[in-house]
Amino acid sequence: MSVKSSFIQIFISHIKREFLINFRSLVDVISIISFMILIVILFILGIGPFEEKLRLISNAIFWIGLILAIIPSLEKTLQRDYDNGWLDQTITSPTPMELVLLSKSLAYWLIIIIPLLISLPLFIVLLNINLKLIPWLLVSILVGGLSISLIGIIGSALTLGAKRGNILLPILIIPLIIPILIFGVGISEAVIINESPLGNLFLLIGFTLIYLVISPFISAFLIRIAISR
Amino acid sequence: MFDWLANPNRFNKITEKIQPYILLIAITTLISGLYFGLFDSPKDYQQGDAVRIMYVHVPSAWLASFLYFSLAISCVFYLVWKHPLADLVSSSIAPIGALFSALTLVTGSLWGKPMWGTWWVWDARLTSMLVLFFFYLGYILLSNAFERKIDGSKTASVLAIVGLINLPIVKFSVDWWHTLHQPASIIKIGGPSIDDKMLLPLMLMIFALSFFSLYMIILNVKTKLIEKKCEALLLKSNLEEISKIG
Repeated sequence: MSVKSSFIQIFISHIKREFLINFRSLVDVISIISFMILIVILFILGIGPFEEKLRLISNAIFWIGLILAIIPSLEKTLQRDYDNGWLDQTITSPTPMELVLLSKSLAYWLIIIIPLLISLPLFIVLLNINLKLIPWLLVSILVGGLSISLIGIIGSALTLGAKRGNILLPILIIPLIIPILIFGVGISEAVIINESPLGNLFLLIGFTLIYLVISPFISAFLIRIAISR
Repeated sequence: MFDWLANPNRFNKITEKIQPYILLIAITTLISGLYFGLFDSPKDYQQGDAVRIMYVHVPSAWLASFLYFSLAISCVFYLVWKHPLADLVSSSIAPIGALFSALTLVTGSLWGKPMWGTWWVWDARLTSMLVLFFFYLGYILLSNAFERKIDGSKTASVLAIVGLINLPIVKFSVDWWHTLHQPASIIKIGGPSIDDKMLLPLMLMIFALSFFSLYMIILNVKTKLIEKKCEALLLKSNLEEISKIG
């Protein structure tokens, strides 16, 4: 078997494994959706049921809800594998850790994307989002979700074995995620005022590409530190 | 590059010599900078005496960013060449940098009250300074979050380097967000032309605060070296005691 095809096989098997773990119990999927709905409820109760106010900030609520709903599930991505020794096993295998982590973050991307895409119509109704935004919203969720999962893997690797890592994680992650929020909301705002959202979209894609390159290497480095303990 | 400084003994010897001069430069520039800034510089034609806050605000903002950069660079030295001293340097820089970014926020807020009428405006510069403060905070929290000190240092160093990549993006995206939402109406420090009489105290204050933080960093590193020595001595005496009993 050539090296290339074996790499692809490893890739697919890792993604399959993540899927099985996460979708066998639907807790993660349900928790992301329900957490996001609850954040929306909090916002609405905070600002009052005023149509004009909501129209101004519905995009911001959507993106903030999305980011906040994803963060609690990030911690588990590596911690579980670290606790049960899966990472120790993987690091001794000939498979490069970087490849494993890349497949892990892609799998995690799919895992967070699927509930968001399922619940998108619901949020469009709840937040009264303009219908012409839908294609742009889909693209920006796909790209932004990828960069959140790539940064999330770094954050999860940073807090491996840390005391109170679950509290530390949001403090470390949110400053890194700020550009996604700005570009994501920027795309929607540009569409609403009939301007081209491509500038923001390209910035978001560029940001994602930077992390697509550096994230596997950084998290692999961090995992080696954590394993050597 | 800094191999000759990486030896703790040599570091102690060299800094012993230069430390008084650094303090001397810091004090003289601080006094003269404050004098020129507070008494011998013109009022701004729009802002009046409030412009004098600039002589603390701008240097500390400048230092907060510069110190983060040097923090990340020394983290690179620590991770790549594994100099233990580099870790001591970066962990000594972190609280000082956090202090300067907090000082920037406080003076910015004090300046904002007479100029904008509120204590806080979500201006692009203030916002990115707040984000920088959280990067410092994350570094400090993460480096203390592990059982063993060395794990914390390594992990937090990685975070600092990621921050170095991410901070310019945050900075530009926040600037851009600001210009998108409201037209630029916030004061431009330094603008196209700044009076020489204002530039002089500003430069003096930048020198003063840089030398002051250099002095504090050296002091911090020395304290940490002594702490390490104490720990080693304690460990040694404990071992001797155990071997006596055994």
